[in-house]
Amino acid sequence: MAPLLSVRDLAVQFKTRKSTVRAVNGISFALEAGETLGIVGESGCGKSVTSLAMLGILPKAGRVTQGEVLFEDVDLLKVPDSQLRQVRGNEIAMIFQDPMTSLNPVLTVGRQVTEALRKHMSMGKEEANREAVALLDRVGIPAAKDRLGDYPHQFSGGMRQRVMIAMAISCRPKILIADEPTTALDVTIQAQILEVLKQLVAEENMALILITHDLGVVAGTCGRTNVMYAGRFVESAPTRKLFGKPRHPYTLGLLKSVPRLDAARKEKLQPIGGTPLSMTREIEGCAFAPRCIYATEESRTKTPELRRIDSDDHFVACWNPVQD
Amino acid sequence: MSVAEAEVQELHLEQPSSLGRDALDRFRHNKAAMVGVGVILLFVLIAVFAPLIAPYGTGEQVGPLNNSNPEGPSSEHWMGLDEQGRDVFSRVVYGARLSLLVGLVSVIFGLSFGFVIGSLAGYFGGWVETITMRTMDIMLAIPALLLAIGLVTLLGRGLVQIMIAVGITTIPIFARLLRGSILAQRESDYVLAARSLGVPGRRLLLVHILPNALAPLIVQATLAMAVAIIDVAGLSFLGLGPAEPGLPEWGKMLADNASRLDQATHLVIFPGAAIVISVLGLNLIGDGLRESIDPKLRS
Repeated sequence: MAPLLSVRDLAVQFKTRKSTVRAVNGISFALEAGETLGIVGESGCGKSVTSLAMLGILPKAGRVTQGEVLFEDVDLLKVPDSQLRQVRGNEIAMIFQDPMTSLNPVLTVGRQVTEALRKHMSMGKEEANREAVALLDRVGIPAAKDRLGDYPHQFSGGMRQRVMIAMAISCRPKILIADEPTTALDVTIQAQILEVLKQLVAEENMALILITHDLGVVAGTCGRTNVMYAGRFVESAPTRKLFGKPRHPYTLGLLKSVPRLDAARKEKLQPIGGTPLSMTREIEGCAFAPRCIYATEESRTKTPELRRIDSDDHFVACWNPVQD
Repeated sequence: MSVAEAEVQELHLEQPSSLGRDALDRFRHNKAAMVGVGVILLFVLIAVFAPLIAPYGTGEQVGPLNNSNPEGPSSEHWMGLDEQGRDVFSRVVYGARLSLLVGLVSVIFGLSFGFVIGSLAGYFGGWVETITMRTMDIMLAIPALLLAIGLVTLLGRGLVQIMIAVGITTIPIFARLLRGSILAQRESDYVLAARSLGVPGRRLLLVHILPNALAPLIVQATLAMAVAIIDVAGLSFLGLGPAEPGLPEWGKMLADNASRLDQATHLVIFPGAAIVISVLGLNLIGDGLRESIDPKLRS
């Protein structure tokens, strides 16, 4: 059976007056119903752009240059916008990074949560309101019934993110994309939000794509993790394997730069030297090569593709993968 | 859930308030703005109850004709008599009706057109934006009063024509302001979030973007009313005002008596003061609104 969502060779470019930014350079992945996929990478590596491109809501300057996004065997990149709108919010929904700005300040929370319900599920006002209370209740907003008429600024950051989640899951989408859902929140709230997400995914058999730069977030949440660098996936493996035995030097570098409570006191964090290449030029060879101590002659000339390593479900794009 | 419960308790301590109510609250604590509101309220009352307040009619001759030396203020005629023996106080009172009407109508006229043009340009962009905004630029390149003079010449003299002419000069200001405001809102996160839920374009504009983009327009409308009152007075002063000779328009009263400034100062001072005070009142309100609505000035 074909997977629920299958992205093939997706590339996105941003045209500016002076240059073209190659934000996403041919990524492929598949997602089954109920699967949780983490996409990890540093700022600007193309994580968010990937999800915006999938939903057809890229900023004006952005353009998908190649690839396909097959959702239930329909290429979302080829259907007209009116049809895509039926998918957005209804089949695939998204949660954004900053709950402080992602809610409309002049509309009540109730109106915003019911918006998708009324549109996609053709609910009347009464019914939608009842459903909204149930949703807010479900994401852990106390006294949900009394809060429908409140405005976003009367909610705290964590509560707003819960509202965003309620909005996103209101139509029971098959896929939920969470773009840095906890980045703007403090750590205790982060854990709560992740708990809410995990619970929803389990209860609704919803597939989750969790986009983050925080390895700790994917570690406890995602079944599978893809590591992204300069618009490409460099490693893809079940989260446990990825953390246990990273094969791409970049993944290893990321793991080494995370502070650990169980590490010996003297052990120093190892930052990854250098900075990412400018994405305005076509990159020859492996994009990570200039920062990589494992780089070979081949790395500088030929772009590595994802290939199977160790086991059936572990992939790495590297000419000289890290050995133990 | 204990954290969430604590949050709720804390939030319930404050009065539930909306953005609008917060703005109103700040506005109410702005002394200058409240003075402005008082002034304008006074003028509105005067305008509404003009027949009760004014002791005489606007064209009524109550004293002797005196072309060279009209009678000055007295206890009987607070603002004196004009050269045709009419009571100046009564005329200034009735003039409030004209000025407020002219200000209101011309701003509503300009605002409606500017609103439509600005939303189209801001939302659709592309050639719609290019054509409308370049047209607005051309209109802005001509000084407002000159443009109004030209339009009055074109449309003919009369109260309605003046209101339209002055209204047209305010269109580009509103259109540009709304367009800019929409552009800023269109890129905001909540619009992206709404799009990700499948909200269609028209609804996005009407329900999500416009209500957030309107605040600066409200401020501008108040200020534009002040400008409109001045413009109409200016046009009247230049002899392009309403053609009806007896009409107690403040600008026209100034113009008619400019040559008598040295003999009968009262004929110019009172209508002039009326213009200045009403415009000042509107400007105070406008500034106050700007301070209470503008998110950058929010504490």
